[in-house]
Amino acid sequence: MAAKYDVLGSRAPRLDAPDKATGRARFADDLNLPGQLYGALLQSPHAHARIKRIDVSRARRLRGVKAVLTGQDLPPILYGVSPARYDEEVLARDKVRHVGDDVAAVAAVDLETALEAVGLIQVEYEPLPALLTAEQALAEGAPAIHDLFPGNLCAEVHQEFGDVAAAFKQCHLIRSGRMVNKMQDGAFLEPNACIAEFDRRGNLTLYSSTQAPHYVQRTAAMVLGLNMSQVRVVKPYVGGGFGPKAAATPLELAACFLARRSGRPVKMGFTREQVFLFSRARHQFFHEMKIGVAKDGTFLALEHRCTLDGGAYSSFGIATVYYAGSLLGGPYRLPNMRYDGWRVFTNKPACGAQRGHGGVIARALFEQQLDLIAQELGQDPIALRLQNTMQAGDVTCNDLNMSSLGMRECLQAVGDGSGWRGKRGRLPRGKGIGMASGFFVSGAGYPIYRSETYHATVTVKVQEDGGGVKVLTGAAEIGQGSDTAMAMIAAEALGIPLRDVRVESGDTDLGVDLGAYSSRTTLMTGHATKEAAEDAREQILQALAEELGVVRGRLSIRRGRVKIAGGPVDIGPLRGRYLKEHRGWTDQPTGRELSFREAARVAYLRQGTIVGTGKYKPPPLGGEYKGAAVGTSPAYGCSAQVAEVSVDLETGQVFVERITDAHDCGQAVNRTSVEGQMEGSVSMGLGEALFEEVKFDSKGRVLNPSLGEYHIPTIMDMPQMKCIVVESNEPNGPYGAKEVGEGAIMPTIPAILNAVYDATGAVIDELPLTPERVLAAIKKAGQNKKGGRRKG
Amino acid sequence: MLLPKFDYHQPRDLPAACGLLAELGPEARVIAGGTDLLVNLKHGRIRPKALVGLERLEELTGLDSGRGRLFIGARTSAAHLAASRSLGGGLRLLAQAAGQLGSPQVRNRATIGGNLCTARPAAELPPPLLCLDARALLAGPQGQREVALSAFFKGPGLTVLGPDEIMRGVVIPRPGLGGGGAYLKLGLRRAMEISLVNVAAFLQLAPDGRTIAQARVALGAVAPTPILSPRAAQALIGQRAGDKLFAAAAEAAARDARPIDDHRGSAAYRRDMVRVLARRALEQAWDQARGRRGGKS
Repeated sequence: MAAKYDVLGSRAPRLDAPDKATGRARFADDLNLPGQLYGALLQSPHAHARIKRIDVSRARRLRGVKAVLTGQDLPPILYGVSPARYDEEVLARDKVRHVGDDVAAVAAVDLETALEAVGLIQVEYEPLPALLTAEQALAEGAPAIHDLFPGNLCAEVHQEFGDVAAAFKQCHLIRSGRMVNKMQDGAFLEPNACIAEFDRRGNLTLYSSTQAPHYVQRTAAMVLGLNMSQVRVVKPYVGGGFGPKAAATPLELAACFLARRSGRPVKMGFTREQVFLFSRARHQFFHEMKIGVAKDGTFLALEHRCTLDGGAYSSFGIATVYYAGSLLGGPYRLPNMRYDGWRVFTNKPACGAQRGHGGVIARALFEQQLDLIAQELGQDPIALRLQNTMQAGDVTCNDLNMSSLGMRECLQAVGDGSGWRGKRGRLPRGKGIGMASGFFVSGAGYPIYRSETYHATVTVKVQEDGGGVKVLTGAAEIGQGSDTAMAMIAAEALGIPLRDVRVESGDTDLGVDLGAYSSRTTLMTGHATKEAAEDAREQILQALAEELGVVRGRLSIRRGRVKIAGGPVDIGPLRGRYLKEHRGWTDQPTGRELSFREAARVAYLRQGTIVGTGKYKPPPLGGEYKGAAVGTSPAYGCSAQVAEVSVDLETGQVFVERITDAHDCGQAVNRTSVEGQMEGSVSMGLGEALFEEVKFDSKGRVLNPSLGEYHIPTIMDMPQMKCIVVESNEPNGPYGAKEVGEGAIMPTIPAILNAVYDATGAVIDELPLTPERVLAAIKKAGQNKKGGRRKG
Repeated sequence: MLLPKFDYHQPRDLPAACGLLAELGPEARVIAGGTDLLVNLKHGRIRPKALVGLERLEELTGLDSGRGRLFIGARTSAAHLAASRSLGGGLRLLAQAAGQLGSPQVRNRATIGGNLCTARPAAELPPPLLCLDARALLAGPQGQREVALSAFFKGPGLTVLGPDEIMRGVVIPRPGLGGGGAYLKLGLRRAMEISLVNVAAFLQLAPDGRTIAQARVALGAVAPTPILSPRAAQALIGQRAGDKLFAAAAEAAARDARPIDDHRGSAAYRRDMVRVLARRALEQAWDQARGRRGGKS
């Protein structure tokens, strides 16, 4: 079968690979501007305290210090992620709400001086009771962390779809369970860093390690009192984000204020410890679920409660508390669902979005319970899921439209690919196999602030010599491969080889792009790129048609050559003009067909620079109920995984030996990148399942703020992986493409939990699966059912 | 994260280095691989005015065998130990332990002297060296002294090393035929891990190949210092090797453990794991002493 596409679906080498492989790639901390100062932050040592007095006089007097700012020096503007919950100050004015909350900022001629000046600032605090758990924060009489939110409730959600109470009465089997995880860290390799510079006309340029230049631009403009057009945010290469870099940080905003105050560029960066203290990573979730099914295993009802420990600020938390419920609407038919969620403020670093936003722990519990239900019904876990899975065109009870859904294909692929039937129930005690599924949005249906803005605008500029095109986009390449994906989409749309496409991205001057979050870039920026490239192609072909005197419809471009349908056309004069223009050049076009270069050149000669533009925003999506926007997306990716584990029954250590992973990403744009996202998701999910936990002492200080003590998987911990790319054709995606970046993490934790259960008979309801916790659960399971389960 | 300012000295030989330490007093710190010291400097946990680098001291290098003893220079890196052909047979547990220390990059820098002198309770190399009856060679202005490693550690971060002394190396009596050992560590992940518990075991079989002539079991992360388990040794020596004996000795080792609760794990779990790891280490040590490869992991 001839390939449908020339570029899409291939294993293209990434555009950034040579720079990164040779160490030439420049990250924010590699940038230096003439005359730059170095900034440093004074951060709170207290989890909760009133600021009585700040004395910066000694810091100001220190030689080399150029600016010292406290909250009193800044405009009293609150910012945050959700406009309905703006609750952050760049520098605390009256109180600090977690250890690491920012109190003062210094810019000096070098970092040493800046740090010394920070040490000279004297702050008098009046400590307040530190509320370190959701329970403490919700207790009667607990002090309010924010005056705006008495009772410390940041947000609550109450939703019911269908009639849950009535449905439970019809159920043959009802199972209840709970699950709690621990607060995560994003653990991206590159700590946040930035440089801010004002020009002499008051325009700001901020270079920053961010996932979302647009939101940073918007927040900076709002807080600094500038127009957005006066603020340019440029994202150099970024060493990962995973969610916590998806909004403006006090680091970025302090750098801007310091630059404005000092009149010089200011460079700042978080240490690894400060990354932990800023956090904005995965919340701690306390989930409780009751699931009811019919005798034949048909899912009938879900009752779900969840409390989120949010930390000190709202951040992305409003979306998180909604996602925690809404992302159980699929990928199985579930007609009745009730969800009650509460996000609670505590005196810890604020939690936010992290890969699989809000849905990961809910998914872990739900899929664990499905396995237990399958067991009680005497059904195979894959068969039970196949029986209940939705299909393309189905709409969930909470109004999410599965416009394409390769869930069935994923389930079958991991079953076949793992040898499930020969292994499930046949492994010796200590060895186990388990599976799970999941789905995720392919781009949030709405921006974070209420707006009719396009989610992405893209310009494709055809180089005047005709030799190639440049894609100009604000999209954020953060290591996930979006530059390459956009180049591939543009190449496909124009009918030219990938090497003729260059990409300039991550710069708010290049267009609107909401950023790299919610797995949106391939679909949304991809649409805009495709439209821009098609626009450019149309202009070129129209000009060429006029030049050749043929109708436009006869012309097309493929693999860099112009195809002319419907009989011979004399291209001689046109080629002659090109050759005359290029005397002495060694790469003259030859052959019977015109090259793209000749066509693009003649179009330029005829009408000047050819610029194609594209834009995308989703159509109105979702239902009418409160919170209906969260979870909506033009498309949904889905996935299934089978995990094979080995459990040391004496120590409780869990070793994940193999993962078979199938993901439906629609049309794969870059097959290698799809697999990379699948492997990266498994790595992150495995770390969360087995190791990761931000730990606090009794005063709210992080006990393990380093990658030495916050354990993410090493290559030694990675299982063998088999990645199976399932390609449905997504009607709402560019060329049928949709997400893989976040959905791929959904099945990992429950697949491991279910495999550990298969190996040991232990149902574990707390993450991570430390050896100690697993061993305790094995012992408990052994006591409950003598000798364990069927593998006694 | 910046390094504070300090003077850096590079003495040419051991007497000069010890002299320098005596002269600089407690404001000076010795640096070899720096894997621990640089981290502490950057975090501001210590603020020495001077660092004394050991990179020119040839006396601190080399692995030399002679008269039944193996000398290991204090500057020998963990990577070198892990790959060393000198650490075969009954010494293999030391190479095993060195190969599990940190990451490849850390192993290239970290030295045996540093791993001992920092005296961390969970350090990788003390348990195998305690099992091998290693002695520390400490050089000072008045010359060199030899201290049994079991008397070297005084507490977390504390040793008998004087302020003007430098560890020159360790010496290990070479085990004869019928000697075997093993090192096991338990952590969350498979690499770059601080042990929750680590255990080394060494057995010297009598010529009958069955009676245990000498035995040592050493434990890490379950006391303020790495320790030898006297109860385990007592249970083993003079007995005929076998699974039941090892289980009993492991039980005895667990009784010698004095673990604490901390954020990495509970005392009870650690004690349990001493029992599991000690038994496995003894089984592996026995397999090795008998010339069998492998064993249960």
